Amino acid sequence: MADALHTLSAAELGRRIAAGTLTSRALCEAFIVRYKTINDKVGAFTHLDEADVLAQADASDARRKAGQGRGPLEGIPVAIKDNIAVKGQPLTCSSKMLASLISPYDSHVAERLRAAGAILYGRLNMDEFAMGSSTENSAIRKTFNPWDLARIPGGSSGGSAAALAAGLVPLSLGSDTGGSIRQPASHCGVVGLKPTYGLISRFGLVAFASSLDQIGPMARSIEDCELLLNALASADARDMTCFGPSDRALTPAGDAKKLRIGIPKGFLGKGVAPEVAAAVNAAIEFYRSQGCAISEVELPSADLAVPTYYVVATAEASSNLGRYDGVRYGHRSATAGTPVEMMTASRSEGFGPEVKRRILLGTFVLSAGYADAYYVRALRARAKIRAEYLAALAGVDVLLTPTVPTPAFKVGEKASDPLQLYLEDIFTIPANLAGLPAISVPCGKSGHLPVGFHLVGAPLSEAKLLAAGRLFEAAHGYAHQQAAL
Amino acid sequence: MAEGFDIDHLAKLARLSLTAAEKALYSSQLNQILGHFQALAEADLPSTIDDARIVNEAALRSDEPGPVLGAEAVTRIAPASRDGQISVPRVVDDES
Repeated sequence: MADALHTLSAAELGRRIAAGTLTSRALCEAFIVRYKTINDKVGAFTHLDEADVLAQADASDARRKAGQGRGPLEGIPVAIKDNIAVKGQPLTCSSKMLASLISPYDSHVAERLRAAGAILYGRLNMDEFAMGSSTENSAIRKTFNPWDLARIPGGSSGGSAAALAAGLVPLSLGSDTGGSIRQPASHCGVVGLKPTYGLISRFGLVAFASSLDQIGPMARSIEDCELLLNALASADARDMTCFGPSDRALTPAGDAKKLRIGIPKGFLGKGVAPEVAAAVNAAIEFYRSQGCAISEVELPSADLAVPTYYVVATAEASSNLGRYDGVRYGHRSATAGTPVEMMTASRSEGFGPEVKRRILLGTFVLSAGYADAYYVRALRARAKIRAEYLAALAGVDVLLTPTVPTPAFKVGEKASDPLQLYLEDIFTIPANLAGLPAISVPCGKSGHLPVGFHLVGAPLSEAKLLAAGRLFEAAHGYAHQQAAL
Repeated sequence: MAEGFDIDHLAKLARLSLTAAEKALYSSQLNQILGHFQALAEADLPSTIDDARIVNEAALRSDEPGPVLGAEAVTRIAPASRDGQISVPRVVDDES
């Protein structure tokens, strides 16, 4: 029986723990065994403190036995992307810059998970400082797609998605700045939700691009994704962009069979692989067959999304990463010299190639003489994109597209062409620019590789996105899918 | 739009030291990426920027002391410390 625990949903595991037919210790021990046999193949985790996990599990079991269980996540392991602070655990952002950093504090989401009784289970690999779409930019290790170990899992939350697809954990946290939850979710055949900007506190999330970054839940089913979302979303005065208690109510889901679904004109055309287009078209036809109203919508500035994103995100990153100067924490070069020489050497040794590329790009678009031509124009384009999305969402409930134009590519295939890699995020970026909630739902396969569709909704419409996903999931066989390893 | 791109100046502003090979690679890649940004230069854009994320003053918390990490926790993660303080290379020369 223990062998099969990794195939069960978090919701089912929670029910067994609550009923007393399963202990958190037995569950965590089973996952630790699986970690020891599979993680080296997949490379999803960069760190797992077994003793700490088992101590948390014992504390959880003691609570439940004393009648003090904290709810549906009591005793359930949740793995965490390595850019989200958990006190006493590494916080490397998969960078040499932070290779030896142990977090001295908990992020808001870590506090929320502890309050929900969950087990904070290990650190997940990612692209360095969340910059990338393949997890190949990790300075620690490679992560492989569990469905095909010669291919990338997506990124930057590649470890979070691969851990789920490999059955290494039932729930995980990712972060999403331009698609970093949804793109790997699509490539690994799992569910990934980027919430409305402001729904989940960013306190304790290492900043990449602060106006775009959001933490979000990842799972193998809609039910599990919703369970985790409910635990994470709460007001937090430490993040002043996080909604307060009175302005965070989600729009009710309503009847999913009455959803009005908009299909952006041209999004299923050029650049989308035929198998991806076929799977997404089949999903559209499914919704039509259920009674949903399908209509075409215009998003005329869609082509501006990728350049706008890469100006805004790199500008903010060049500023946010200015803090890594070798003084207070992080890597300090052994090279002696003046403070400026020490800072320059520390940054040059600590950052990897993609991070340097983005810092240079962001420095350029903010520099004197160029900021008006790039950064300010990008902010104006962002306003236009947001206005177009909100206008489209005034007439429909959700917008449906592929999550990614093509299935997972081979490791190394796009490593020397950053621009091609940036175009992976063409469908996911607008939701970040506009601050909108979006979800990737598994909807088929291209050969043996998973494909997902992408839903974007109006601010605080997460319940509608989840209801739409649930309707599709209930009629198809993609919930709880795991790769054979 | 990419006229005047100067990799040495950018590296200095970004406090990065680049090898000759890195300079050549990043110059070429940044020029390619900036070429893709040309669409922004040609687009018909509104005169206002997206202010959705400009923080409302009402959202600012009160300016009162709250919990802090404390010197022990801070120096534990610092690259170098002495006597409860973070040590850095000498910033000011001794007066002589």
